[in-house]
Amino acid sequence: MSEVKPKMDCRNVILHLDDHLDGQLDATQHAAVQEHLERCPQCRRRYQQAAALRAVLRSLPVPAPRPGFVQEALARATLRAQRRAERRSTLGVALAASLVLGVALGMLVAQRPAERPDPVVSLVLEQPEIVRLAFNAARPLTGVTLSLTLPENVEIVGYAGRRELTWQTDLREGVNLLELPLVAYGPTRGELVAHLAHGASSKTFRVKIQTGRAEEAAMPSIRLATS
Amino acid sequence: MRKILRLPRSRSAADFESLLRPHVEYLYRLAYRFTGRVEDAEDLVQDLLVKLYPRLHEIETLGQPRPWLARVLYRQFIDMVRRRERSAIDRTGTVSSEDEDDPLAALPADEPAPEEACERSLLQAQVLRALDQLNGEQRAVLTLHDIEGYRLEELEGILETPLGTLKSRLHRARRRLRALLAMEPFAADERVSE
Repeated sequence: MSEVKPKMDCRNVILHLDDHLDGQLDATQHAAVQEHLERCPQCRRRYQQAAALRAVLRSLPVPAPRPGFVQEALARATLRAQRRAERRSTLGVALAASLVLGVALGMLVAQRPAERPDPVVSLVLEQPEIVRLAFNAARPLTGVTLSLTLPENVEIVGYAGRRELTWQTDLREGVNLLELPLVAYGPTRGELVAHLAHGASSKTFRVKIQTGRAEEAAMPSIRLATS
Repeated sequence: MRKILRLPRSRSAADFESLLRPHVEYLYRLAYRFTGRVEDAEDLVQDLLVKLYPRLHEIETLGQPRPWLARVLYRQFIDMVRRRERSAIDRTGTVSSEDEDDPLAALPADEPAPEEACERSLLQAQVLRALDQLNGEQRAVLTLHDIEGYRLEELEGILETPLGTLKSRLHRARRRLRALLAMEPFAADERVSE
């Protein structure tokens, strides 16, 4: 004795056709749709067309990105985002200090008199401020290694978690300006150390960084620390 | 004359590139599926990467970033579609004279074609043309589900749309696609409201 199965009409089959293709029907519904498809040429054609369309969709190719696109896109994104961040970090940001530091690398070793006190910069907590270092070079220098060491709780905007930065740069004769957007995240009384090395010569500059109240740091201070 | 010294490349740039590099081709693939055009896919991925850069720390915390990345890409795609609609450069639903001259635009005749002929007639170019006429939301769900093989339950999160809405959207997308390809019409009363 055979079990009586519910029959589906065309309307019901059409409603279930996508789920049938997706394998989403339970066994009873699946059997009912199959049974209908076997006896209804029109629905069978609909099903075959839908299945053929699915097959064509799945075969649609995606061209590989053109050579170099991945690297270019990443590099462009980095550059654009950093420029935006720089603009944001420097727009309306107070100038905390402008320090002119004399450099005579390659000619003589550091000769800053010991009695001259280190310049002091005061930062307000969590308020980015520009500290401008001007390296005054007596002659052009290529391949100078510049290292910056930051005190505790102080960061350069865009360089989260970095206490040290070292890179190579060229100095032209005269003033070479380095703008540092600094932000203090906690109390500090340390030093920003700028170290320049060129060949066998090197020179170290120290700038005292302290955190203070807003009114203390409101006025930009211009200090000279020439050697 | 002053020289401005530039700071070195930040570590976050290197971190960003190494974190995202394994996913760019995947994002490009989805972007191409969404847009159907190389130049649009490139623009979409480029704009997405610019937006992702400040969210580096957020991405770093994701164990499986792809569903999240796909979601942000989808939002970006929908924004792009809406921008274009607003600026009246909407390409959907229009047939240009160039299309009319194109022999590929000659879709199958109204009468039902034999199965074999129908399969032969479902050229990829025709399907692409039909896909291009779906709206952005329909195209996204159809390509992600029917082509890329995402389950609707996964797409709930990626497209941030309830399952029921996704089902009806997919249903409408398929029906429109079949209609555009002049396949045998399904019953008129199969409508599912969204």
